[in-house]
Amino acid sequence: MPKFCLLVLFLFFCCFDATGSERMTIDGITFKNAKPEADPSPTGDFKTLVIPIKRAGNLIVIEAQIDTLEGNFVLDTGAPYLVLNETYFRDMPHAAEQESAGINGAAENSFTTYVRNFNILDLHYSKLRADVTDLSSIENGRGIKILGLLGTRLFADFAVTVDLFRNTLYIQKLDENGNIPDAEKVFHDRFMVSPFKMLNDVILMKGTVNDNSLWFAFDSAAETSLLDYRRSKKLIPDMEVISRSKIMGIGGTSIEVIYTRFDNLVVGDRKYMKNRILITNLEKMGNAYGYKIDGVLGYDFFVRGIFTINFVKKEFEMYIYNNQ
Amino acid sequence: MKRGAYIVIVFFAMVCMALSASAQKRSNLVMGNDKLTLRIDMRSSKAEVDSLLKKAGLKGASAAAILKGDFSALQKDGWTTAAKRGNIVEFDRPLENLNKNPQSQPYLITTKIDRDDDESPGYPAEVTYGINNFAKVTVHELPSGITRFFLPGYLPNKRALLSGNFNNWSTLKGIMAKTDSGWIADVKLKPGKYEYKFIVDGHWINDRYNNLVADHDNNSIYFRYNYTFKLNGYANARKITLAGSFNSWDANSIIMEKNGGGWQKQLYLHDGTQAYRFLVDGKWITDPANPNKMQGEDGLTNSVLNLGETVVFKLDGYTDAKKVQVAGSFNNWEHGKIPLVKTKTGWAVSLIIPPGNYGYKFIVDDNWMTDPKNPRNMVEGGVVNSYISVKPNYTFKLSGFNNAKSVHLAGSFNNFDEFGYTLAFDGKEWTVNVNLKPGKQLYKFIVDGKWMIDPGNKLYENNQYNSGNSVLWIE
Repeated sequence: MPKFCLLVLFLFFCCFDATGSERMTIDGITFKNAKPEADPSPTGDFKTLVIPIKRAGNLIVIEAQIDTLEGNFVLDTGAPYLVLNETYFRDMPHAAEQESAGINGAAENSFTTYVRNFNILDLHYSKLRADVTDLSSIENGRGIKILGLLGTRLFADFAVTVDLFRNTLYIQKLDENGNIPDAEKVFHDRFMVSPFKMLNDVILMKGTVNDNSLWFAFDSAAETSLLDYRRSKKLIPDMEVISRSKIMGIGGTSIEVIYTRFDNLVVGDRKYMKNRILITNLEKMGNAYGYKIDGVLGYDFFVRGIFTINFVKKEFEMYIYNNQ
Repeated sequence: MKRGAYIVIVFFAMVCMALSASAQKRSNLVMGNDKLTLRIDMRSSKAEVDSLLKKAGLKGASAAAILKGDFSALQKDGWTTAAKRGNIVEFDRPLENLNKNPQSQPYLITTKIDRDDDESPGYPAEVTYGINNFAKVTVHELPSGITRFFLPGYLPNKRALLSGNFNNWSTLKGIMAKTDSGWIADVKLKPGKYEYKFIVDGHWINDRYNNLVADHDNNSIYFRYNYTFKLNGYANARKITLAGSFNSWDANSIIMEKNGGGWQKQLYLHDGTQAYRFLVDGKWITDPANPNKMQGEDGLTNSVLNLGETVVFKLDGYTDAKKVQVAGSFNNWEHGKIPLVKTKTGWAVSLIIPPGNYGYKFIVDDNWMTDPKNPRNMVEGGVVNSYISVKPNYTFKLSGFNNAKSVHLAGSFNNFDEFGYTLAFDGKEWTVNVNLKPGKQLYKFIVDGKWMIDPGNKLYENNQYNSGNSVLWIE
């Protein structure tokens, strides 16, 4: 790239709010505190978009299109933006290399690219930032072809509702107050509401276990809930074990995980009993999120009701099933 | 009754309940104080101990041995005896391993945890036979052989889709066309069992006219037929049923239907060898139109049906041999040796074999040998056999290695066996045909002992050796 262009690029990035701590590398030069250009807002002629969900294990899978390529994507509120599977997208142009402990974690060879013409039914994204990384563990674990993960930034303007009983996803536009317009409301019997924070584009919710306050990431791609071991032993002196298993980590290392049951988890204004949660070490996951987290609320948590994530009001709600 | 006495009774009842509750929980597994504690009640049944061991992740341990007081399996897994109180034996295991090997993403842990159900829901397992059951027929075959799905009504809706395991449960493909009475979609299906649903304006609905419903998700089930049982005559019979090895000789479930001058029943029948009989007004008969018969285990004679591909096994020469047989993994080897018939130039037999990949050998006067005309081999139990694929659905090809001495194919379909299946060189490229199950397959070529990903396939993923595997999806 000619030096002139680099200079222009550098100045271009300097023009942006430089409060973020993100680093990126372009042609070998690392830009500190450089935030990438925000993706243009998506467009679509709808008020409520109804999308059928496919299930693979406890994953929430929907189909989307990149240009003319159709395929499966996992709804992943644990990912900040679009993540593409390296197996099918390794030839995409490299916009920037990710650092090894990048936001998407493990993958050593991940890079950033931009995709054009991404469509979720009638919802159209003209340009989207995407990370390309190895997602083979999801494919091989669940036996389904996965083109990528749909992270939170894709839904930043919307409320997203997941009904796992009828396997339906609703993407809804919001009014000027950030609410779903009354006429468009699908579910009415709300039994829980909780505010959440967006930090590094990951949903963080406060919860309490036995009166101790904890920060949970809400991750729709986590097929079980997770709790950090060191944190758990201070909170819950004795936990009933449901199962102990060993799984294979990257590079063939063995990882021990213990699945337990405990009562008294409070999220928002609701107390949840008989919670299933996997105990493991979350230190590295916290690094990937950019914040120290105590736990991850996954399938075991969100299967308890129809849930709505309002990304504008930063509110998480749960509704009783069979209420249509 | 006095209030005090009442309280005493309630207290007594509560104590009894607490005692019985603790009696039920004699064996358990808890975590706390940086350790796992496993309590085994030696009075427990074998099944109770088995489920406890499963919980504790002790896969190889035998409940019987533990109940006899042999705890070596526990010790091997890092458990130490902590206490013994009466019939309760207590073991501890440190939990520090939980802090090892942190993972950066939840899915790196959660997608690897085995679910109890091995099958993949929505993708039906193979069945020996199947018969449809519609309240009103909504799925049928057109004269062209194409299957038409009909969704009555929903005319005010904007969009209807047909989704099933035949299109990988696509929510974008399978667009149905609107007619004046509902929606239709045509699909080309091979004989077999299918699950499907409709998607109307984004909402999943099952076929309410189809009485066959899967155990999970209320999916509708459809069998694409491939066989018709026919029985001519018996015009005066009141009831005729069909029973066979495919339905465990249930004489009540398959009722023949009157059709012109005889009776018939259409169904889906899996490839393979099936024995069957008709039950005509309570009397068993064989199929008069089928000359292929065999004595059953109950002493009755059965008609025999072979469904599958016809494969001709030929061995040239050996005309002086007394007998030549063929045996393979398709007919249980040693126990299923099948004689070849002498021809002018050698020996031959045609067999009907279900689709799959098999090893086989000829046996010439009790000497086992690979097929001299077949350049492709595989290894079974450490022995090299000739390799054959019946109804293959994929051809692996490798070009640009004209001078290689050997090329082998190893993949998820043959447990990455180092010998795998050998490819043969046809003067242009190396090839081998394989019958593969639908889904993801990983594979590599081994060229003169060197493992490599397929240079002709752009799709590959990393593996634990950091050397990659080629990726192939079979629809």
